[in-house]
Order: sequence, then C-alpha cells, then structure tokens
Amino acid sequence: MVFTDAMKAIAHKEVSDKLKSKWVGVITVGFALFTIIIAYFGTATSGVASFRNMEATIASLTSLVIYFIPLLALTLGGGVIADERDRHNLEFYLASPISVTEFITGKFIGLAIALTLPAVFGFGLSGIVLVAKTGLGSAGSFLIFVVNSVILGIIFLSISFLVSVVFYERSKVIAFTIFLWLFFTILYDMGLVGVLVVTKGILSPKIFSFLLMLNPVDVYRIINFLTIGKYMIFLGMSSVDLPSFIKAPVLWGICLLWIVIPLMSSYYFFKKRYLE
Amino acid sequence: MLKFQQVSKNYADVKAVDSVSFELKVGEMFGLVGPNGSGKSTLLKIMLGIIRPTAGELLVNGERLSEKGWQSFRKTIGFMPERISFYDNLTGSETLTLFARIKGGSVNNISDILDKLLTRGVLDRRVGGYSKGMRQRLNLAQALLNTPSLLILDEPTSGLDPIGTRELYDIIDNVRQKRPLTVVLSSHILAEIEEKVTRVGVMKSGVLKACGTLDELYEGLNLPLKLYITIKDKDVRLEEILKRDGAVDITCSNGHLMADLPREHKFKVLSSILEHKNLFVDFSVREPNLEEVFFGIH
Repeated sequence: MVFTDAMKAIAHKEVSDKLKSKWVGVITVGFALFTIIIAYFGTATSGVASFRNMEATIASLTSLVIYFIPLLALTLGGGVIADERDRHNLEFYLASPISVTEFITGKFIGLAIALTLPAVFGFGLSGIVLVAKTGLGSAGSFLIFVVNSVILGIIFLSISFLVSVVFYERSKVIAFTIFLWLFFTILYDMGLVGVLVVTKGILSPKIFSFLLMLNPVDVYRIINFLTIGKYMIFLGMSSVDLPSFIKAPVLWGICLLWIVIPLMSSYYFFKKRYLE
Repeated sequence: MLKFQQVSKNYADVKAVDSVSFELKVGEMFGLVGPNGSGKSTLLKIMLGIIRPTAGELLVNGERLSEKGWQSFRKTIGFMPERISFYDNLTGSETLTLFARIKGGSVNNISDILDKLLTRGVLDRRVGGYSKGMRQRLNLAQALLNTPSLLILDEPTSGLDPIGTRELYDIIDNVRQKRPLTVVLSSHILAEIEEKVTRVGVMKSGVLKACGTLDELYEGLNLPLKLYITIKDKDVRLEEILKRDGAVDITCSNGHLMADLPREHKFKVLSSILEHKNLFVDFSVREPNLEEVFFGIH
C-alpha cells in the first residue's frame, strides 16, 4: 500500500498532537525512571541496592510492562473514531477524496509512532545507563525487549481501533477498553490456570501453548522469556514446558496477526457502520 | 452533472430516501429544503458518494461510479458540513494546511478569498478560541480548498449574524462569477433559499415532494395568491364581497384585510375589488413565498 500524502498528513497530526500535549514526553520520562528504579532497587529485598544484571531487569520490566503498555495503547486508540465523530470532523473525512484505508491507516501509523517514541527513548536512554553499568554483553537482549514492548503496544493499539469502531458511544468504548485490559492482563491467565486445575492436567502442552497464543500479553511474555532464558522464573512461567515449534519468529508472526486482524476488522466495521 | 434515478435508501425498515429522481445541472444553485428527518442529510451523503443507494441509480456526468470513481469525483466536490469543530489545538492556518493535504488541494487556491473570510490575525489564532461564526467561515474556506466544481453547503449560515450571512453568500457569488460552480444549498432558512437558488427540491418523509424553479413550484402546487387590502374607515363590506367571489381565509384587523385568493377566482375577485374603489385605499397581490410552499406541502 502506498503511503499517500493524505495518510502522512493524518499521521503527522496525530504525532504532533501527542508531542504538543506532552503525552510523549511524560511517558518517555516515566519509562526511563521506571527502568532505572527497577534496575537499581530490584535487589533491595536482599538488602543491597545496586544495578542488577540485564536479564533480571528485563524480567522485572516485562512483568510491569504487560500492564502499562496495553493500558496506554488502549486509551490512546480507544477514542480515535469516537472523538472525530463527536467533534463532527468525521463527516469531513468521509466526504474527502480519501479511502477508509487511508483514513484509518493514517491514524494508526500516527498513534503507533506516538506510542513507539516513549518506548524507544524512555527504555533506550535507561538502557544506555544499564549497559554502561552492567556491560555491553546483554545489550542485545534489552534491545529485543524494547522491540517486543513496541510490538505489544502496537497490538493493543490495533485492538483499540477495533473497539473504537465497533462501539458507537464513548462511554461504551471506555468500559469495553477497561474490560479488555483486565481480560488480557489478568482474567485470561487466571481462567487458563483455573481450567488447568479443574481438568487436572488433561490439557496437553500443545493445547495449553496454543491457548497462550490467543493472548498477546502471553505471547509477549514468552518472547521475552525466550530471550532471557534462565530468568524465566521472574515471569512466573518456569513450569511451562513450551513445545519446540514455539520460537521467536513464530511468535513475531503471531504478533503480526494480532496487529493485522483487528486493524482489518476495523476497516470492515467502519465501512459497515459509516458507509452503508 | 448528477442525475438521481429512482434513488432509495433504506436503513433496516426505515425508508430514509424513497424513489427520488431529479437532475443537478452544471452551474446552477439548487436548494434542498425539508424538516428534520425528511431525508435531506441522507440525500447529501448519497450525493457525496459516502453511502450507496439501496435502489435506483445516481449517475455522475452520465456514468455510474465505482468506489474508486467516487473517490476521484470527491476531488471535485467541496463540502461544508453543518457542524464541524475542527481541532481546538490547531490554528486556522494549520487547519487549512492539514485539510488541504487531506483533500489534495492547496491554501493558495483560496488566497484571493481567504482574507475576506478570516483575517490574518484570526488565522494565526487557535481554533479553540473561535466563535461559531469564525468556525463557519473556516468551514467554507476548507470546502473551497480543492477548487471544487460542486459545492455542497449544509446549513451554511448556522451561527452567522446577518452581516456574516451576507458576506458568506457574497464570497460564494464571487467564486461563481469567476468559474462554473454548481451549488447545493440545504437550509432551514427558507428566505435564504428563496433569495439564492435557481431551483429547489422539497423533501418530506424521504420523498421529493416537489422540485423545480420557485415559479414552477407555486404553479404546480396550485397554492392560492396572497391578497392584501388597506380598507377605508374599517368598512367591512369588502370582506363580504371577497367571501362571495371565492377568496378564503379572510382576516381583518386594524383596517387591513388579508385573504388567500385561489387562482381560479383571481379575475373575478380582482374585478370586484376594482369595482369598489371607494372601499379601499390600496391593495396588492403576491405569489406565495417558499415558506408558504413549504407549509403547503407539509
């Protein structure tokens, strides 16, 4: 698909809005501080405060990022269509010589950039400090963690677009966004563990792994787990015996599906709701 | 330019537009009137290619358009929606630059009229601080960014004072003098429509009840003429004569007599009035106005 001038204009507006409102700045500083604090005070429970090794830091960060990034992404994209409709700007876009794909993709790319900037700069700046303190050896793992975190954000941004298109009223968008966040970060895994207990281990590892793939948060956890290996215990996944086909490229492929499917569904539902 | 052939649009069981047929001619100013919920907005959306008709056809310059074709045709349409808030954090200039990029137009296209719409100082201010009138002017400016050949105005003077209304129409007239511009004007202000348009369509419950020039509408609907007489010394004899000769809805107050004059009785009534010159000071007869046409239909 060609990145048209209209798409660039729409995307640029979204990025500059988030920059002007200091949203990007605040989240960047938040991510940086958050990483440094976790890296430095992570060992405080053992009576010593100092920079830990990178893998342990990544494990701790992963446990927290799964709550923060989905929440940020869902709130960022949840109101994207409702806002335009409430401000009556949507009529202008619909009457303009642009396609639904250009409109939604332009918005999506803009917000994806706005979400990527804090992750890259916030984690990036703190990553430089960590590398300086713990050595260059684990820089690659941290880089992969940053990339995975960006992907997690984009997945939830895509989901939020779908919510924004499917639900007409802003209050419903907010309510369903909160529900989705709870579902993917807490309820899904709780339910899965419940099923495991109730079925007394009848579920094979393959089925269990497949069920994990249905939750992008679990996919994110597993990719990071594959990156940091022995520190998987920090992610609460030490007892999970993953089948051999679960490798990083497969998981990234699943992530891609998690981005593409909700976004394509957004196009479909948008056309159905506004153009029929 | 645009030809509606038995166009209908249904939403579930509701017929928003029902078998509408009319043609929009190049360079004309067409008025669309009707109460809320009469199907005007749906018809405008069909005209803009935003929604497709459930039945019937809409031909653009004699052709049926595909989705791509509509996208391309919209490059030649300027649309001024009834309500648009823009973005409070952008200035007027930034808004126009953004909208120009989206529409594939340029702010330079409206450089000759922009200063008549909004001053430099206003354009440099954030839209969040704009009055309703300023937003409407910005709305017209964005509609003209792509030098459209079809301009669709949905309640364009909503929120404008009489001077602002006059200025807005002057700008549109100014553009029309320079190049052929077809205008569709949807408004609740019937006097505005009456003054500006060459033809008008009257919608009711999704149906185009009447369509044509104002004269055609008056004749087609066979609405009575309006008769006004200033009588002498509050003499009521003329009232009796009018009643006898076929005038209806006669009211008399403070020496002024008003009546509806069915067209088939006009010669008889007017002859009687002239035979009784001693009973009145002055009299006038006029065609019904658009408001009376509107209420005649509704």
